[in-house]
Amino acid sequence: MEGFTTIFVLSSIHHVLSGEKILKAAGAAFDLIPVPKEVNPDCGMAIEAMPGSEVAVLDALTEAGLVIEAVYRREGRRFERLSPETGG
Amino acid sequence: MPDRIYCDQAATSYPKPGTVAEAVFRAVIASSGSAGRSAHRMSLDASRTVFRAREAVASLLGAPDSSRIAFTLNATMALNIALAGWLRPGDHVLATSLEHNSVARPLTALKERLGVEVEIVQADGEGRLDPADFRSRLRKTTRLAVVNHVSNVIGSVSPVRDIRDALEGVPLLVDAAQSAGGIPLAPVNEIADMVAFTGHKGLFGPTGTGGLWVRPGVELAPLVRGGTGSRSEQDRQPDFMPDALEAGTQNTHGLAGLAAGVEFLLEKGVENVLRHERRLTGLFMEGLSAVAGVRMYGPADPERRGALVSVNLDGWSPSDLARELDRHYGIMTRAGLHCAPWAHRTIGTFPAGTVRFSFGWFNTEDEVGRVLAALAELSRSSG
Repeated sequence: MEGFTTIFVLSSIHHVLSGEKILKAAGAAFDLIPVPKEVNPDCGMAIEAMPGSEVAVLDALTEAGLVIEAVYRREGRRFERLSPETGG
Repeated sequence: MPDRIYCDQAATSYPKPGTVAEAVFRAVIASSGSAGRSAHRMSLDASRTVFRAREAVASLLGAPDSSRIAFTLNATMALNIALAGWLRPGDHVLATSLEHNSVARPLTALKERLGVEVEIVQADGEGRLDPADFRSRLRKTTRLAVVNHVSNVIGSVSPVRDIRDALEGVPLLVDAAQSAGGIPLAPVNEIADMVAFTGHKGLFGPTGTGGLWVRPGVELAPLVRGGTGSRSEQDRQPDFMPDALEAGTQNTHGLAGLAAGVEFLLEKGVENVLRHERRLTGLFMEGLSAVAGVRMYGPADPERRGALVSVNLDGWSPSDLARELDRHYGIMTRAGLHCAPWAHRTIGTFPAGTVRFSFGWFNTEDEVGRVLAALAELSRSSG
């Protein structure tokens, strides 16, 4: 995949699937992916926004009141934490 | 062998819609991953199955946030989670004289182990509760009221909205084991702070399904702690719903059936189910009044009832009458105390109990007529 994608980590599979429902309705370009081990030791799923759709995904999830635990920028196997900068 | 007539819908509904069996079969065959645990497609399918069930129940309850519903094995487990997770040593709790053992027993244990003070609000012989009786019993230490929405013995419908108004902000836990699916509960945040329901009665789901809706702002200490697939690096149970109250692998196959059952119910409409069941209940009560030696318990007006009628027949013990109905007429009922001795004491039928006839969406007027004919025949003999 060219460029970077944006990974949104939510608290549980229920919240990820709530996000999926909302993003499908919003027509956003995204995928559900296993949480990368570089991001979180959890065994769950995360939402990956396709290049160019990160703002639409963020807006739709925020508007629905879903709590986003962390956001990462991914380029290949490199992950940069965007939010929150520490903790979480 | 006579045709079967199933009049034990208050114990568990039968038959289930065909879509329920199909959904369980499909889940077992094609969607047997572990929900919320792994990240492969079968696990994701299973997670979607659980999510679909949660969204369906949320629609039924008119709950805007389905994450506030934790799935359990049954209403009993949901009630135990609510009571043990909310009450603390020294708390005062109000409960009604109509409560099932699923409330009576955990409350007794909390009284004995934690010193929780349990005060009973007495219903009258028709199961009527006066909201003023709740208000007059409030103390500074009152932390919860528990009310059986529809008595599984008497059939009376409790005025939960008025009771909640009388509680002056004290949270109300509603036991909707008998009412969910047959009596509208939406919007749930207007009638209760917590609602315990079972999946296998009015929601048409398989046994082993149920749940607890918890209003935002009410935080319960978990009764069971363990794996949730979330925050796995931490030793403490997650504090967010539904994971806070859902430790361990969920009954995904059962929940597939529950989703199909609730979707069936939503398609038919709870109001239509209520109308059908009340019509059958009304016909049954009207017919019973013409049968010699019958004693009926509970509200005389079917509009104040769930779809069940407790009965005794002169000359017959409840157990003998139920056995005779089953053996010679194919009519299935439930006799005895119905796991609710408090309610039987309320109507004066403890310890022998009653025979309970309960109806559902799939019962017909013809079946009600045949049950009445059988009772008329039996009233002319004796056990």
